Amino acid sequence: MGAFTSKEQATSVFTTLFDILLRDERFAATVRDENLSVQFFHSAPDLTVFVSADGVWIDETPSAPAISIKMSCDSADALWSGRLLMPIALATGKIRIKGSVAKVIEFVPLLQPAFDRYPAIAAEAGVGARR
Amino acid sequence: MTQLADPAALTLADVPTLTALPGEILALRNTVRAWARERLAPEVRRLDEDDAAAFDWGLVREGHDLGLTRLVVPKQFGGLGQGEFGVAVALEELAAVDAGFALIFGATMLGQAPVLLSGDPRLQARFLPLFCGDHPVLACNAITEDQAGCDLLIPENAQFARGVMRARREGEHYVLDGSKKFITNGKVATYATVFANIEGQPGATGLTCFVVMLDRPGITLGEVADKMSYRSCLGTEMHFEHVVVPEENVVGGEGGGVYVNIQQMNMARAAVAAISTGVARGALEQAIEWAGDRVQGGVPLREHQFTARKLAEMSAKVDAARMLYLKAAHLADNAIPAPAYEPAVAKLFADQVAIEVATEAMGLMGARGYLRDHGMEKRLRDALGARIYEGTPEVLALAVTEAIYTDDDF
Ligand SMILES: Cc1cc2nc3c(=O)[nH]c(=O)nc-3n(C[C@H](O)[C@H](O)[C@H](O)COP(=O)(O)OP(=O)(O)OC[C@H]3O[C@@H](n4cnc5c(N)ncnc54)[C@H](O)[C@@H]3O)c2cc1C
Repeated sequence: MGAFTSKEQATSVFTTLFDILLRDERFAATVRDENLSVQFFHSAPDLTVFVSADGVWIDETPSAPAISIKMSCDSADALWSGRLLMPIALATGKIRIKGSVAKVIEFVPLLQPAFDRYPAIAAEAGVGARR
Repeated sequence: MTQLADPAALTLADVPTLTALPGEILALRNTVRAWARERLAPEVRRLDEDDAAAFDWGLVREGHDLGLTRLVVPKQFGGLGQGEFGVAVALEELAAVDAGFALIFGATMLGQAPVLLSGDPRLQARFLPLFCGDHPVLACNAITEDQAGCDLLIPENAQFARGVMRARREGEHYVLDGSKKFITNGKVATYATVFANIEGQPGATGLTCFVVMLDRPGITLGEVADKMSYRSCLGTEMHFEHVVVPEENVVGGEGGGVYVNIQQMNMARAAVAAISTGVARGALEQAIEWAGDRVQGGVPLREHQFTARKLAEMSAKVDAARMLYLKAAHLADNAIPAPAYEPAVAKLFADQVAIEVATEAMGLMGARGYLRDHGMEKRLRDALGARIYEGTPEVLALAVTEAIYTDDDF
């Protein structure tokens, strides 16, 4: 059984997560200064999450993203929970990224607040309750 | 399933060519080319003939001042923030003069790669600024062992690897025991990325990547390998006896070493292909000059049809090798994981081209090609080196065919 029970649940969790990230000073400043935009392409349930300095969009692509990240919702749950490590996820193809690697290398460490906050957000939304 | 939108940056149509390099890369190429010709070239024979353990820190410092030790370090740590594309272009310039010097900086980048790929801000903040100070700092990447060579590079063969260095967990630390062999920069590096097998796992199936400061107690360095070429860089044995490494120095988790290694190789192969292209280009340029000046049969050699054909074919091969590595580097700079196919093909081809072009170039110089005085025989020795590290032709062939038979929709 997947970690998320519905698209609505996944949408709510990822929107909350990236709203929090955008309130992180370092993340917001870098995303704005570097004109970074990232689109996550999630499957099972299918949804896209577009994040830029201007906000979070679900299933919308306001402009071509600088970085595209493809992973299942289960992999996303495992990644943000710390059960799936980034180098392994990348090497095994559980996460696929397109876009400037230099930008990705700059971007990934900025995600730390999301790793810190995700377990609480997910638990509150009942993610993985049926696992 | 939603279609994955290609980022604007990734269109094969705009793969840059060497005649239309982006301005920043062109400037990098010109700087490295000028340094290699003016400062490195006059020292090549001395570096080649010196004692196996001799190392020229003075020239390394000059390379450091150019930024060659921190090419791939992100700008926020004081680096140049280059990708594989810039690295490969720079290494071609160095290798056209001396492949060993290219590898000093290439091996440092290999040691930096796991820290970059970890995505771990703490590891990055600890290790990457080391390269951005006033003094040159080098790194190394330690995989090869006495009994385990290619078995550590072919994931399916990890189970057969024998005598692999052990890592045992003790509380919040790991204890490393074992030895590494042929490690470029091992003698002169500040830290190493070391691959060891978690105790109890068969072969190398528990391969794990550790970042290890080389001043830790228990590390001793063995003899420097007395190599056929690449003598300006040092390949060394490294012995680890009860070396304690904190758990936060693990990259990719326990057992993740094989994946870190694959990632590193897929990133690095374009750069090694560039080294081979550089060796081939160096030989070609010397042959062109020779065939333009040397008169036999009343005309310069180049006017003999057989010679013309040889020069034309050598030139085509060098250009083709360059196009393949530029394409591979461009792709590696725009996708994680880096593709397996293009870098392996680029290296397979360029390694072969270097040997063929250096052999033909040597032949075009007659007896002089065989003498140390002219430096051509050294180019042939350089050409034979890159075929061994970062994947022999057999290892590359397995990677290429694996990719050919894998259906990848990304
Ligand atoms: C200049 C230079 C620099 C180097 N720098 C480093 C470094 O910085 N770090 C490091 O860790 N190592 C380094 N090495 C070591 C290098 O990576 C190894 O030598 C290489 O991986 C091959 O291992 P081996 O020598 O043990 O050969 P082996 O693994 O014993 O292979 C011998 C031959 O058998 C073939 N072979 C092996 N397995 C198979 C198979 N399954 N199918 C078909 N053929 C096979 C190989 O292709 C090769 O031709 C360096 C080597 C050189 C020459």
